[in-house]
Amino acid sequence: MNWNDLRLRLRAIFSPAKAEQDLTDELAFHVEMQTRKNVALGIPEADALRTARAQFGHATSTRELCRDERRIGFLETLFQDIRYAVRSFRRAPTFSLTVIATIGLGLGVNAAVFTLFNAYVLRPLAVREPYSLYLFQYRDRAGKFHDLTSRQFDQLQAAESPAIEDLHAVIGLAVRINGRQCFSEFVSPNYFRMLGVSATIGRTLVPGDNNNPSVMVLGSSTWHNQFGGDPAIIGKKILVRGYPVEVVGVAQDGFGGLGDFPRDFWMPLALAPQVLPKLDSISVIIRLKRGLGEAQAKALLVGSLAQLTLDAPASERAVSVTLESRATSVHLGFEGMLMVMPMFVAFGLILLIACANVANMMLARAMARQREMSTRLSLGAARSRLIRQLLTESIVLALPGAAVGFLLSRLVIDTAVRLILHSLPGEFVEFFHFAPLDPDARVFTFMLVAAVASGILFGFAPAIQATRPDFGKAFRPQRLRNALVIVQVATCSLLLIAAGVLLRASNSVHDLDTGLRTRDVVWVELLEPSRARVLATLAQQGSIDTLAATSHVPFDAGFPSARLSSGRQALDFVSYDYVSPEVFEVFDIRMRQGRVFTAVEAHSDLPVAIVSETVAKRMWPNEDAVGKSFQAEVESKSNLSRGTPLRYSEVRVIGVSADINVGLTDDRVSHSMVYFPATARTAQTKLLLRVKGDTESARQSIDRALSAAAPGAVDKIHKMQEQIAGRVYPFRMTSWISTFLGLLALLLTITGIYGVISYLVQQRTKEMGIRKALGATSSSVVALVLRQSARLALMGITIGAALSLAVSRLLSSVLVVVSGFDMLALTAGIAVVLAACLAASLYPSLEAAGVDPMTTLRHD
Amino acid sequence: MPPQAPKIDLLQGTLDLLILRTLRLGPMHGWAISERIQQISEGVLEVNQGSLYPALHRLEHQGWIEAEWGVSELGRRARFYTLTATGRKQVDVESKNWTRLTAAIDRIVEAT
Repeated sequence: MNWNDLRLRLRAIFSPAKAEQDLTDELAFHVEMQTRKNVALGIPEADALRTARAQFGHATSTRELCRDERRIGFLETLFQDIRYAVRSFRRAPTFSLTVIATIGLGLGVNAAVFTLFNAYVLRPLAVREPYSLYLFQYRDRAGKFHDLTSRQFDQLQAAESPAIEDLHAVIGLAVRINGRQCFSEFVSPNYFRMLGVSATIGRTLVPGDNNNPSVMVLGSSTWHNQFGGDPAIIGKKILVRGYPVEVVGVAQDGFGGLGDFPRDFWMPLALAPQVLPKLDSISVIIRLKRGLGEAQAKALLVGSLAQLTLDAPASERAVSVTLESRATSVHLGFEGMLMVMPMFVAFGLILLIACANVANMMLARAMARQREMSTRLSLGAARSRLIRQLLTESIVLALPGAAVGFLLSRLVIDTAVRLILHSLPGEFVEFFHFAPLDPDARVFTFMLVAAVASGILFGFAPAIQATRPDFGKAFRPQRLRNALVIVQVATCSLLLIAAGVLLRASNSVHDLDTGLRTRDVVWVELLEPSRARVLATLAQQGSIDTLAATSHVPFDAGFPSARLSSGRQALDFVSYDYVSPEVFEVFDIRMRQGRVFTAVEAHSDLPVAIVSETVAKRMWPNEDAVGKSFQAEVESKSNLSRGTPLRYSEVRVIGVSADINVGLTDDRVSHSMVYFPATARTAQTKLLLRVKGDTESARQSIDRALSAAAPGAVDKIHKMQEQIAGRVYPFRMTSWISTFLGLLALLLTITGIYGVISYLVQQRTKEMGIRKALGATSSSVVALVLRQSARLALMGITIGAALSLAVSRLLSSVLVVVSGFDMLALTAGIAVVLAACLAASLYPSLEAAGVDPMTTLRHD
Repeated sequence: MPPQAPKIDLLQGTLDLLILRTLRLGPMHGWAISERIQQISEGVLEVNQGSLYPALHRLEHQGWIEAEWGVSELGRRARFYTLTATGRKQVDVESKNWTRLTAAIDRIVEAT
């Protein structure tokens, strides 16, 4: 179809009278000319017109052929079909509304997920030419990823690579502003210009800021939400880690940086050395030259990067560069896609069973329209024409379904966001920034495509079956309907069993004994320069019972691990931590043998250690561990970035402590722990405070006291209990989603089974009548019908259970807490589905039992 | 009318070529096109006058010709067809195809 064609076709549709008149005029003109010619040739005037008409041929069929050329037939019949469909659905409102609601449900939950996916993965960021932006990293020969150092970045900038149009550097900074967690970035002066982002009010950052770098540009949503959108914010100073930084502008609406969630503000890179204790690496974002592919760019860049890393140790030199697109909030590679796939499959299954339900309803309706179809077929209607009409009807039902689905998806998203914010452990809420979840053209396109696709999905089989010439005589579509029910039952048992498995996993994480008393403990991460002042302030706080220090907060980032060895024995993956002696008191970790560190040991870095019971048993079985010594070495260099490097080589054990468990499983590795001495004055340690009275009010009063005495000194102050809740939360979430989907699937399946069994009963009324006349009892008729539905249910359950076993195997290979074979979840899921299936068929079976043999038999 | 040599039925698709080539001479209405084809072929090809119009409409939909209402030589309102730029290109393509087809048929006829 070309443009010309479309134009002519549309003209024919919108002004059919004009098109017809034109055709009439044109043909009349021809006949008139021919008549004149005939007269000129000497044919008597009376005959000339007749001859001309004869020469012209069959005028009506010519007109018909011309109309065909206009090809308005296709659209005309489409409109006809739509009108017909709307009329017939208006006559069956219950049927139509049920179909629309069912499809709306299926489309709605999928649209909600798609909206989320779109917001993070598909929607390009609101910057200039987002698709040429890449995060730039390199890999060494061991395949390890490296960010550039700021020196390497300066060199790269000076080198003017032929692949790079422009580049900037970013250092992230999470910081508390007025007691609220904020996320900010130090950026190169060309950041805003490179991204084509302007200021709503004030200005963006400029190269001149390097001379006076204490300035910031606020994000527009932060400006609105935290500062009430007050234009007077320009010129105000905000304390960032105790440094006053002046607000010079607000970035344009919708801009939140290049990350996976919106940033609150941006400051010049030149300010970073003052605020940050050390600058090890920075993120480099490059804009590739126009028309350059990723592969070409990599080839061009790898050489210059090898140059830049020449002075590094051989194992750290660049052998390849990696480019990660920064066009969207989240860049999902192939593996990332695999990770989110199960969610899409689960939601897609809901749509699938909704379609199965509707297909069943359409089939039942087709049976009722049997006479209409066979009449039309025998009158010569083409089968393809009828199929087209039936498919049009399905799509006519699916489109309002999409509208319902859209409204539902807004409701689902709204409720989900609210639920997440309510159910998240309190202190996590401020860390949680949602990307804007508004619908856009992509969401609407998705809805439309999904609606048409599901219309075809649920309409196709019924349309094919209903237009079979032998339909209703030789063929009963019972097998197809049974298959659809089996698919539904399988899907909902899969989802419900999976929900059970995940719920049990979340409970097992929740119930896991950590061996730590966390109830009344608050932890504080502070800025090094203010340590003395913070400690002095804390010493005056009456609400603090005990103060301890640790290099790693349990459940926050995880402990680094070391290899311990002594003579014949060696243990890998032993977690280690530097702790002050008071940690054992704060967390209530009992000493099994020996003692805790003395003040002298803690202050003087002596090579002494306390090991957990499990380490003692594994290293020195049947021996007294106290007094023994061992060597420790860090497992791999990668731990360096996370933890404090191990400083000792020969260490003496002075005590054995009770086991703690910060892992998600109950095994020897997660119980293996070794403690080295430290004090609250040791740099890079976090403080643990055991408080009196209500933990939350103690936390708030301590936070207030600290911000008064040492503004900006506290980076984090949280309750330990939140940490525990936080690690259970993801499991809770997935089990809720799975339960929600499972129940939705169950609801759809129940209505599906109800429909199929009622239909079956209705068809077999006569048979039931005969059975009863021959002496069958009501209960035997009920049993007959229930057997029928139990047979379908069991087939579906078997398939669903088998699939769920495969899925939980897969999950347990990734997540150790998920059981690969969870008998309880399996039986519970099966029982619920089976009970629901039988309940759904109970009413139709009672109806069958209530059949009066006399009435039915007389009826025919 | 005087007796004539037997007329040849048009091959499928050749009518399009005839119309397009005729329109190379300039804008024409339907009747003129049919006259012209008969004239040039010296009456050997007689286009069924009725079948001309579906072909004209088809070509118009394909965008090879354009139609416009104008005034005929006798002062009557008539629908004039003009070759478009793509139509001009199409004439060459169809002519070449035709030459190839007839050449092939010639070879077969002569060889047997």
